[in-house]
This record gives sequence, C-alpha cells and structure tokens, in this order.
Amino acid sequence: MNCGECQEILSRFIDGELDEKRSTTVSDHLAVCAECTVLCDDLAEILLQCREPETDEAVPPNPAALWRRINNLIESELPAEIPVEEKPRGWFARGWNLTFSQAGVAVLSIALISSLLTIVGIRNYFEPPGNDLPARASEPPSTFQRLLSKVGLVETSQQARERRVKEQQAAIEYWDKRVQMRRVTWDHRMRAAFDRNLFEIDQVVDDYTQILRKDPDDQLSEEMLDSALTEKMNLLRQFSEL
Amino acid sequence: MSHSAKIGYGLKRPKKTTILLLLSVVFFFALTANDVVGQRRFSRNFPAGKNVRLQLLNRSGTVTVEGWNRPEVSISASLEAPAATISPQVIEGAILINLMKDNQGREVGNVNFNVRVPYACVVDIETLIGNLIVTNVRGGSVRAHISSEGDVTLTNISANTVQAQNGIGDLFFDGDILPGGNYRFASMRGTINIRIPFNSSFKLVATAPSTRYISLGPFANSNLSYVGDGRRVVGKFGDGSSTLTVTNQRGGISFFTR
Repeated sequence: MNCGECQEILSRFIDGELDEKRSTTVSDHLAVCAECTVLCDDLAEILLQCREPETDEAVPPNPAALWRRINNLIESELPAEIPVEEKPRGWFARGWNLTFSQAGVAVLSIALISSLLTIVGIRNYFEPPGNDLPARASEPPSTFQRLLSKVGLVETSQQARERRVKEQQAAIEYWDKRVQMRRVTWDHRMRAAFDRNLFEIDQVVDDYTQILRKDPDDQLSEEMLDSALTEKMNLLRQFSEL
Repeated sequence: MSHSAKIGYGLKRPKKTTILLLLSVVFFFALTANDVVGQRRFSRNFPAGKNVRLQLLNRSGTVTVEGWNRPEVSISASLEAPAATISPQVIEGAILINLMKDNQGREVGNVNFNVRVPYACVVDIETLIGNLIVTNVRGGSVRAHISSEGDVTLTNISANTVQAQNGIGDLFFDGDILPGGNYRFASMRGTINIRIPFNSSFKLVATAPSTRYISLGPFANSNLSYVGDGRRVVGKFGDGSSTLTVTNQRGGISFFTR
C-alpha cells in the first residue's frame, strides 16, 4: 500500500469500518510511514473532539447580558463608527451654526445688497437707459456704477464692450467669408465701391478703438464704434447677397 | 466678246451700288441694335389705393420717386447692359420690386428708376450703389438707404417717420418735422444738410465725432448744448415733441430753415 491509498481510507480505518484484511494492511503501512502516522493521529484527534459531548462552559450563562457587554464595549471603543441619524448635506447643513457677530454681519450684508438692488431697480424704472444716453455719452461712470461693477453686480462698460465687439466680430467674419466667395462674380465698379466703403468703415473702427484704449470710459466713442461695426456687418451682409 | 463685255460691265455697276447700300444698311442696323442691347426700357403702371406702399430694392443706379396727384403708381426704368430682370409684385396694396432677388448671381448693369407715386404713398427705397431722390411725398413714412456710395436727396417731404442713410455721400433733407414724428439721418462720410421750418419742435441728438462740425444755424438756443468735447449736440427745440437723430461719422452736419 502506498501513502495515497492509505490516506484515502484513513478516516474509515479510524472509524473501524474496514474489514480485517484492509485494516491490517493500513496498520502495516502506518507502522513504516511516519507521515501517514502523523496524519492519522491528527485525524483521530479531530474526530475525537467532534464526538465529545458539549460542556457547560461552551454556553454563556446569560447570553443577553453578554451581548449587552459586547455592545457597550464596541460603542466605547468605536464612537466614530456609530451610525447616527442622517443630516442634510451641503450649504444648509453647515451654515446655520453662526455666532452672534457672524449673524449680525450676515444681516447687514443682506440689507446692503437689498438696498443696492432696490436703488438699481428704481433707477432703471424711472430712467430708461436709452433716454438720456446721448447726454451722458461722454461722462465717466458714476461712483455708484463703479461700486456695482467692483462687487460684480453689473458688467463694467469695458467688459460689456469687449463682449459686444466679440459678438460683432464673429458675425463680421461669417459675412466676410461669404463676400470673399462671391466677389469674384462682381464687376470692377462694384468691387471698387465695396472696397472704398469697407476701408472707410475700418478707418472709423480703428479711430474709435484707439480712442477707447486711451479712455475706456468714453461712451460716445463706444457708441460710435458699435454703430460702425454694425454698419460693417450690414455692408458685408448686403454685398454677400449679390 | 464685246457683247459679253458689255453685259459684264452692265452687271458690275449695280453690284457695287448694292454692296454699298447693303453696307450702309448693316452699319445702320448695327448701331441701332447696339443701342437696343445697351439700353432697354421698362415701364409699368399700377392702380393705387389710399394706403399704397412702394418698396424698391435696387442694385446700382439712380432711383427717383416723385409724388403726383393721381391714384396710380407709374414705374419706368432704363436698364443698362447686361439688362437686369425686373419682376414687380403687388401684395396687399404694396408694390414690391427686388432686383437683388430677381438677379441674384447675375452680373447686371445700372438700372435707373423713375417712379411716380400718389402723395400719400409710403416709400421705402434702397440700393447698394447709386443716388436716391424722393420729392413731394406726404405719406406716413419715407425710408431711403444706400448700402455703400451715393447721395440721398429728400425734398418737400412731410412724413411722420423719415429714415435716410448712406455710406459715402451727401444727405439732404428738406421737409417738415411733424409732432410725434421720428427722423433719423446717418452717414459714414459726406455732408448732412437738414432744412426744416423754424417752427418745428424736436428733441435733437446730432453727432459728428470726427469733424465736430455741427452747425445749428438759427436753431441754436440755450436748450441745445454741445457735449463730449463738442462731438455731439443734445437738447430740445420748441416743446420737443418729435425726435431728430443725426449722425455723421466723418463729416459735418448743418441745419437751415425752410
């Protein structure tokens, strides 16, 4: 018998389920094989343990008390992992635990912003921007307007101008491409007239761009630049339809 | 021999005359035909209701519109070669002529229009290049727009709304400023002359940023003031019941009385 055959029937050998002949064969092998003997001893020990009746120590005397003790121990050692009632997350979850001074500052801020917005609203309601724009054309923005711009409540005139110019330039580029495609079909007179007018408008645009670089608050130049760019766009659009 | 020579001689003389005559005829017809190809004419009349409106969009050439005391619109045009297509349409009392649309993608010559309209006609004329002239019109609105070069001349106009605009060229308005009206004149480069009655009343915004030449003439008063380093005049004349806006980017503005 080899070790494989012996280990295969070792459990039955320990249980005494083998016939005499095979039992003798296993005994003979165990007598000469140390490895199988050790395995046999271990297996016999395990089976013996399994067959022993349950002792009193195996059952806790008061299971409920034991679980309470375990719970208490866990709670005392791991407070951070205790599941707590879920709170709303985000700005509201952390913003309302204010000190008295913080609350005061918040109230004052709200009052100030509300006042500013009210004043802006009243000014816009009673004085539509178009009505006296020409009269204010060359005046710099008031302190009030500067303040609003600084706090980011309104767009500065420069920002607004840059945005408008960008939009107009995009439209001009579009129409210019169309004109470039079509102008080969125009006669000489048409091309010459178009070029002269475009040159004139470009001169105006350059003039006002330079003035505005020196004085960004010159609203009259801003208005004229806006008008010249619109004219350029219209000229390109109309000639692109030829 | 001599007979045949005689016959031959007899045949030769009418041949030369015929050739000369033929050449003359061909030359004459060539000249006439050239004239016909180079200059064509268009003419059409339309009956006009009370609220007639003329909308004309030309490509190049002069457009002249004149009011008359007849309930009809007469349109005549001379067309230079290559002749443009003109297809007038009448939609809800409005007479529409759009040479841009009718001739898109084609090379066409100048078209010079001469249009007669009832006095009360609403006039809206536009061209890419060329002069626009409107005379004796008293309708609700007059609009004359030149995309690039040309002069706008509006004479004896009495309309509630007047708009005139050009690129390079002069602009002249001679007419009434009606109470509650809106009058807008704009040029890129040229001279703007406004001739209006002294009893007009208007809110004025006149801007000549490049030349700073704004001559108010007899209309100068304490209610009109120069702002923006003299680039603009704003204020009221009379009770300021109408609005007058004049902008000349690279030219001057002058006011005169009628």
